[in-house]
Amino acid sequence: MAGQIALHVAFVLACVATLFPLAWMLRTAFAAPGDIFHATLSLWPDDPTLGNFAKAFRLHPVAIWFVNSLVVAGAITLGKLAIALPASFAFGVMTFRGRDVAFGLVVGTMTVPYVITLLPTYVTVVGAGLYDTLAGVIIPTIGHCGFVVFFLRQAFKALPRELFEAARIDGAGPWRQLLTIALPNIWGAVAAMAVLSFLGAWNLYLWPHLILDATEHKTLSIGLKLFATTGEQGGEWGPLMATALLAAVPVVALYLLAQRQIVSAFVTSGVR
Amino acid sequence: MTAAWRRLGRSPWLFAGPAVAAAVAFVWLPMVATFGLSFIDWSMLRQEATWRGITHYSGTLANPDFHLALGNTAIYLAALLPLQIGVPLALAFALVRVRAGLPGRIYRTALFAPSVLSFPIAAVVWLWMFNPTVGVLNTLLGHVGFAPQRWLTDPDLAIWGVIAVAFWKSFGFNLLIFLAALANVPADVTEAARIDGAGPFRQAIDIELPLISPALFFAIVTTVIIVLDEIVGAVDVLTEGGPFRMSSNLLYFLYERGFRHFQFGEAAAVAVLIAAMVAAVTWAQFRFGERHVHYD
Repeated sequence: MAGQIALHVAFVLACVATLFPLAWMLRTAFAAPGDIFHATLSLWPDDPTLGNFAKAFRLHPVAIWFVNSLVVAGAITLGKLAIALPASFAFGVMTFRGRDVAFGLVVGTMTVPYVITLLPTYVTVVGAGLYDTLAGVIIPTIGHCGFVVFFLRQAFKALPRELFEAARIDGAGPWRQLLTIALPNIWGAVAAMAVLSFLGAWNLYLWPHLILDATEHKTLSIGLKLFATTGEQGGEWGPLMATALLAAVPVVALYLLAQRQIVSAFVTSGVR
Repeated sequence: MTAAWRRLGRSPWLFAGPAVAAAVAFVWLPMVATFGLSFIDWSMLRQEATWRGITHYSGTLANPDFHLALGNTAIYLAALLPLQIGVPLALAFALVRVRAGLPGRIYRTALFAPSVLSFPIAAVVWLWMFNPTVGVLNTLLGHVGFAPQRWLTDPDLAIWGVIAVAFWKSFGFNLLIFLAALANVPADVTEAARIDGAGPFRQAIDIELPLISPALFFAIVTTVIIVLDEIVGAVDVLTEGGPFRMSSNLLYFLYERGFRHFQFGEAAAVAVLIAAMVAAVTWAQFRFGERHVHYD
């Protein structure tokens, strides 16, 4: 019993330490300017205000960054699922010549470090006239869908074969089998991959940083860097933390809502 | 619809083709092209290549900035490997021993929370805490009687600031991996050890640790990948590799050569070197992992 109490004390301390930076971001985002610039350890702002959000929106196109992030993360998620779902269905359920080679080509991309694809992809994107466009960020990223294919194929393979036999006898083609029979049975896996892809895309840094140039084309992640390094130095911490909060809210909310899917997806990526 | 069209519509390649094409176009071809690029000079303006042999490799290997980036990468690894393995491992061993269900789930949720953020979000949050004049870390130091620090602008401290942020932002991932591995340890094994009189520490070290060693190897690989492949978002926001390149690493060096100075050939050579290191570690995980890991 004493051991259990010691464990709880240790975990409460560990959680407080882990969450403190987030709490401090939250506090600063809602603190008045005068409150930010005096040394304090109080987690509750003296006079909570929304002024920092208003100021952030005046200083930088934060709303546009937010929409850009949504577009990039949404398009990458949909794009990955659109090519990964049929592919993983083919790899998991259909039999055809060259299947294993094709599967290896797609899933093998998981082992390729992302830095080694960076430079030629950049040259290609610039050559295609997609520099400084969201499409230039989105399209190449969709190609990195090896894990999604791997995960969804496992889900398709776990379905009983009789399910498809019955459909085939009823005359359902492979597309109908995928859409009306297989898909409704693996929603959990699809949701897990959708959430994981969205988180990954929302958090992209280096690639959009290289491709997006104009201030109003940036996503939140790279807008934050611009915000932190331009303007009056040491000045706008309140608005900066308000922007960081806006960038963090969707992923934290998604995490709290879909915790089980995220954990299962992360863990599978770990034991693959 | 003719029979040929119908057959085409049912072809497995219509299902698998787009994913295969995307993998080839955006991963495999660029990988080969990076290798080729590392032997030439490529002019974006004139769309023209000049053969340079191995000069990009020899030049890079002789570049003092590369040596600094390589040494810093070694520091990042030497600091983050024990932290990223040891702390989540201790937390996981402790967490499976928490008997109350709800508090256990709350602890796990809280400890994993920073891991869903991106490196730049984590970095700006810490940038503010590291602020030398009004940052909360110096306020804390003042309360316990220490002198304020310059943190990220101090050449000796900057790299440790980045390490702290990287650790905070990613230890939760390994915690999940270890918890999942521990959940697969059969209860009767630990129960038998307990009946034999093994205390909780003996159980953890002698029984559970060997059983979850595949997860340990995986955690090592993910940590190496974080340092070589992902930490750049934190480095760029926190320090831009400075001061005096003291917190730069290999990927940041690549970024500078390729996208600040537009020396694509040189940057490609660095990319090949980084990829070779990642490949070596992944390969070692497979080889070493297979021989020394207990799967049953």
